[in-house]
Amino acid sequence: MHATICDLITDLVQNSIEAAATEITLRVEQSKAKLGIVIADNGKGMDAATLEKAKDPFWTDGLKHKHRKVGLGLPFLFQTAEATGGVARIVSEAGIGTTVTLDLDPAHVDLPAFGNFATTATALMGYGFDGNLVIERRAGGKGYAVARNELAEALGGLDDAGGMGLLKRFFEENEKEINQGSN
Amino acid sequence: MGKMTLEELRKLRETKKSEMIQRDSEGKSAQIIIGMGTCGIAAGVKDAFDAFLDELNSHGVQDTKITQTGCMGLCFSEPTVEVAVPGMPRVVYGNVDGAVARRIVREHIIGKALVSDHIFDKPAADIIK
Repeated sequence: MHATICDLITDLVQNSIEAAATEITLRVEQSKAKLGIVIADNGKGMDAATLEKAKDPFWTDGLKHKHRKVGLGLPFLFQTAEATGGVARIVSEAGIGTTVTLDLDPAHVDLPAFGNFATTATALMGYGFDGNLVIERRAGGKGYAVARNELAEALGGLDDAGGMGLLKRFFEENEKEINQGSN
Repeated sequence: MGKMTLEELRKLRETKKSEMIQRDSEGKSAQIIIGMGTCGIAAGVKDAFDAFLDELNSHGVQDTKITQTGCMGLCFSEPTVEVAVPGMPRVVYGNVDGAVARRIVREHIIGKALVSDHIFDKPAADIIK
């Protein structure tokens, strides 16, 4: 499994990007009782048979790397849930999109560290693709939401070091604000 | 201070931009392509990503493009990063942790010299069409 929850989130959002989604929503909510993650996209989706195969670490659609026989993204998702008493669900329909839901117990001893959400959000927003990504974040009763479209407009682009540096500061300050007093 | 708003972000950007226009006389900018596949993520590429952003900004290099890609087919040498500086050969660096990322910024992007001990030539043959 991935070393941090944020690494897993990065991997799953990239699946949405690679599925040619134009609208992606990433929701990450933390409370004392639950860590809830939802990634919903309007990408190409999967039929039931493909989804079942995608859970197998030794299966890949073969489009990215012709001679390779591994695909670890979704297996990591289910492994994380199973190893920590959590629940992972995928609802997908070909041509419509995919929604991944992960509910985890923050107190489980085997749960990986959460990781650095500001870096994760900066990297995801900076990933070059023709679509929108909305991040909805909640922790300890506080939250913020921001869309990639708005950030690209405010920064005049999301691919240069100056803009990305500011973007990271934006997420760091918002993360600090919502995490104050909640841990 | 409360959390940063989009409006504040826009203002900061405008301030930084006007500083940059004065400095940017070389024209074409360098590009850093970071491999963010499952393998790169698992190998800790986020440390490199953070280090690139931090080192570039602390040296006032704002125009370098930072883009991300999936697996470059060199999973054994993750995190892998491709660097293209105008007038220099494109190279792929392997095993790029935070410290190596900082060296790439100082030695390659700013100093215009390759970081020879981390060069992995080019992406794997089955990735290049």
